[in-house]
Amino acid sequence: MTRARQSPRAWTVGLAAFALLTMLGEAGAEALLRTRLNADIRSTDPGTNRDANTDGVIAHIVEGLVAFRDDTSVGPMLAESWTISNEGRTYTFRLRQGVKFHNGATMTADDVVWSLKRWLDPATQWRCLSEFSATGIARIEKIEAPDVQTVAVTLDQPTALFLPTLARPDCGQTAIIHRDSVGPDGKWITPVGTGPFKLGEWKRGQYVDVIRFDGYASRSEPRSGYTGAKTAQVDRVRFNAIPDSSAAKAGLLSGSLDVIMSLSIPDLEELKSRSDAQLSITPALAMTGILFQTRDPLLKDVRIRRAIALSIDTAQIVDAVMEGTARPNNSALPIGSPFYSETQSHGYVQNIMEAKKLLAEAGYRGQPIKMITNKRYSFVFDSGVLVQAMAQAVGINIELEVLDWAAQLDRYNRGDYQSMAFTYSARLDPSLSFEMLTGPKAAQPRKVWDNPAAQEMLRQSMMIDDAAKRQALFDEMHRRFIADVPMIVLFNGAELTALRKNVKGYAGWLYPQPRFWGVTIE
Amino acid sequence: MRLRANTAIGGALVTLLLGTAITAMFWTPFDPLRINLRARLQPPSSLYWLGTDEFGRDVLSRVMVGAGASVVISLLTVLLAVAAGMAIGCAAGYIRGWTDRIIMAVNDALLAFPGILLALAVMIVVGANKVGLILALGLAYIPSVVRVVRGTVLSIREKEYIEASRVIGNSEAYSMIRHVMPNAIAPVAVLTTSMFGWVLLAESALSFLGLGVPPPAPTWGNMLAASRPFMETAAWLSIAPGLCIALTLLGVNLLGDSLRDRLDPRMAHG
Amino acid sequence: MLGYLARRLAMTIPTLLLVAIAVFALVRLIPGDPVQVMLGDSADPVQAAQLRAQLGLDQPIPLQFMHWIAKLAAGDFGHSITNNLAVLPLILDRFQVSAVIVLVAVAAAACIAVPAGLIAAWKQNSLLDLSVVGGATLLLSIPSFWLGLLLLLLFGLKLKWLPVIGYVPFSENFWQAATFILLPIVTLTMIEIGVLTRMARAASIEVLRLEYVTHARAKGVPEWLVLGRHVLPNAFAPTWTLIGLVLGHLLGGIAVIETVFTLPGLGRLLVDSIFARDYPVVQGCLLFTAVIYVVVNLIVDLCYPLFDPRVTVA
Repeated sequence: MTRARQSPRAWTVGLAAFALLTMLGEAGAEALLRTRLNADIRSTDPGTNRDANTDGVIAHIVEGLVAFRDDTSVGPMLAESWTISNEGRTYTFRLRQGVKFHNGATMTADDVVWSLKRWLDPATQWRCLSEFSATGIARIEKIEAPDVQTVAVTLDQPTALFLPTLARPDCGQTAIIHRDSVGPDGKWITPVGTGPFKLGEWKRGQYVDVIRFDGYASRSEPRSGYTGAKTAQVDRVRFNAIPDSSAAKAGLLSGSLDVIMSLSIPDLEELKSRSDAQLSITPALAMTGILFQTRDPLLKDVRIRRAIALSIDTAQIVDAVMEGTARPNNSALPIGSPFYSETQSHGYVQNIMEAKKLLAEAGYRGQPIKMITNKRYSFVFDSGVLVQAMAQAVGINIELEVLDWAAQLDRYNRGDYQSMAFTYSARLDPSLSFEMLTGPKAAQPRKVWDNPAAQEMLRQSMMIDDAAKRQALFDEMHRRFIADVPMIVLFNGAELTALRKNVKGYAGWLYPQPRFWGVTIE
Repeated sequence: MRLRANTAIGGALVTLLLGTAITAMFWTPFDPLRINLRARLQPPSSLYWLGTDEFGRDVLSRVMVGAGASVVISLLTVLLAVAAGMAIGCAAGYIRGWTDRIIMAVNDALLAFPGILLALAVMIVVGANKVGLILALGLAYIPSVVRVVRGTVLSIREKEYIEASRVIGNSEAYSMIRHVMPNAIAPVAVLTTSMFGWVLLAESALSFLGLGVPPPAPTWGNMLAASRPFMETAAWLSIAPGLCIALTLLGVNLLGDSLRDRLDPRMAHG
Repeated sequence: MLGYLARRLAMTIPTLLLVAIAVFALVRLIPGDPVQVMLGDSADPVQAAQLRAQLGLDQPIPLQFMHWIAKLAAGDFGHSITNNLAVLPLILDRFQVSAVIVLVAVAAAACIAVPAGLIAAWKQNSLLDLSVVGGATLLLSIPSFWLGLLLLLLFGLKLKWLPVIGYVPFSENFWQAATFILLPIVTLTMIEIGVLTRMARAASIEVLRLEYVTHARAKGVPEWLVLGRHVLPNAFAPTWTLIGLVLGHLLGGIAVIETVFTLPGLGRLLVDSIFARDYPVVQGCLLFTAVIYVVVNLIVDLCYPLFDPRVTVA
């Protein structure tokens, strides 16, 4: 990118134009909502080259057949309804009428088939492609469009996870986009989607804009999760790339930003007392906990792991680290999940005497136990510090090792650690919550819990669609999870968002991403 | 007058530093590592002279222990840099030829890296702990020491007493150690004082960027970095370590000045 | 002259080659790779392998190095793994931001430091001298980011005179851009004043002792002329070396200041890409930094004859 040299003449002309535009701008002032990302987005191709920031922006531009509701159940989005037939293997979607793409074209079954086929093409590098391979949930056998309003997808086996996978925000919600999104050579141009906003200016490294799409065809029911009514009420949303959270907070307080997400706890305290700011605190689906390596010579003894679990007061840690915005939770399922039952709420109760007894039984003589943590997520860091201090009181000698996030991820993926304070990103289905923890360590060294019985139960929970049966499976898995102590789940965290007082209509939800439709600035 | 002022102020500050560091080994008002979640973020009071941090730990105690940590880390880093730098610089300057050329090429390459970034990269590779920090910072400074030592060696190796030494029959190594080293000490000593300063600042910068001495051990650097989110609400958390770093550096630099003035008396008088 | 230039440049090639090798090796020694960072905690090994193959990271390292060098020779620094931008234009873009701050700050610092050092040396051992040295030493003892944060708190939040976040390039809006970089420049200037004043003073003291100064005074030349004509240019030479060293290093990384003031500069790009394991960007940045360092030192050396006619370049 080269900057053109500007002659003095061009400069004066520019200045005059700028003045003119400013005057005109004053007349019909645009409703601009300014928010923050902690890094620039990766690309505008949904669910391909992405990270959390990218997903958050893309979700304003594209939509899929189905989407998650506030309670993490899956609801219709571009599909009006669907039926499941053929022993659970065929999903027939009836599409909504009159849905417009950003380029004015009307959505038809043809567009749906084209989009789905594009995601399934390995060249697209769709994140959820492996879900539809031999190692995934099911293979897609065929995609058909019997008429202009219907699309039928047939899988090779039934699964409870087909619709949740389609709705996954980290896979672009399996967006239905128009062919014009790519060039004649198949190269990506821009997302021509159906969302309430369309892509505006993307100034690399600085900001990305989304602009209201006036032709948006909204659903009628109230906003819920990523579905429901999604009409844009501001003209433009600008996502500024500001890596430094203190700077972002300063921006909010000085009025250069309207909304900032993922507040840190110290910032929360400060913002609570400000009259020009309001807070949105909602429980989150992420999970923070202490992982153990059950293959480690010292920690393979469950008594030592259990002793650590019993030496800490989870409630106190959560309170101190999250300042009342989160609740302690020892279950693999997040508190906000519809499958979080009474069974799930039973975990570890602090018991110093029992902890000491277990240590004596196991013959622990104070050998140092290394715990990896990182500075990137302050709540992970703080949790590690507190666990270490509490365990110390019982005689357990934990040494903290601070790595940068990438190095810690490397150790996590290889299972090369004794213990670590770690955080998992949100999983929208209980099976997926267990799946991220459970697996055969020989093939998947990153999994913390290697229990064949549990793995079998997990497999079943993914296949059957009956809610009661799945609940029973999750309850049993939880009991074993607590008994085995492969890790200590601490809390699910909260999504903390600060907004200026004049921003109305914003609501956080379980998934840690913003929704700027239905939001106005007064 | 300036010499005395330098030495006085510098000496006072450095003595304060060393005194605090040594005292901290035996006594601190509170246990610097003890977490007290009920007394978090307290402003300075008669109980906690410098207040408490976000985990309820006494800031004064942590500052005292941090003094010790800073002294130890700085000393070891300087030791590493000087020892390695002297050895390499003498080898380069004395042996000359291809050894010298290769050493200087590598040295210049290392010098072309900004020190902080080199230290950052080394720390990520070696690990973020005291040893890694010392290695990283030492490595970043070795090239400067090598340059200075080599320069000194080059300028005196041809002097008469070296010739004389050779004539009597002393080995090259003996000549080098006996005559070259003492002469290199003066410029290296001056470099050392600026190195102390750089190490202290670099340690806090690395903590700021996310890689410092890991918790719960306090160093001024990681205390300053950790205070960032609280700068408005709990200013004492950043003022204490920040001031300590600034005053220590001031003392070290002033002492360094008086040291240099002593080694080069011409500078002292107008 | 041209011959000298050519020879000097030729001499830098082996150094730069060494730097390239060191950079390449160092970056790959760091645990963790970009694919893991991109995929996060749900890294599917199949996906990861696919991505690695795409990025060419599954090839043997010497081969990867050869590819990189070959493309470098053609002027192609590769593409960022994180966002697919071409590396060299990205670096140049970011460099503009850092360069403006560094050049203005160092120039401002020099304008204040050199006269200050000169005056302090002239009145050596007086109270004025003491305060100048004391002040300079204090300035270089303060951690840069702490100073920056304090200034930001004072001028940005409490007084609200200056904006707190963001950046606008000069080509867009001159005055607005100026407000964004004023505080970082002030912060850096203050610290560099500390560094440069001490050197300027030391150099001035050296010169003031010299024979021809005494001679000029004895001739009855007015003091200000002595200072301006004889002392200043000669004292400037060692200060100029230091300026060169300082410039060379700062241009490579004022990462900390850029982080505090959220400026899209080169230092931040480097730190961010190290944490993201974005190999092409890290390699490109480090190599670029080394080149800048070498070039700046070359320019510094070439300027010596301007200050001291006795010094010849060849």
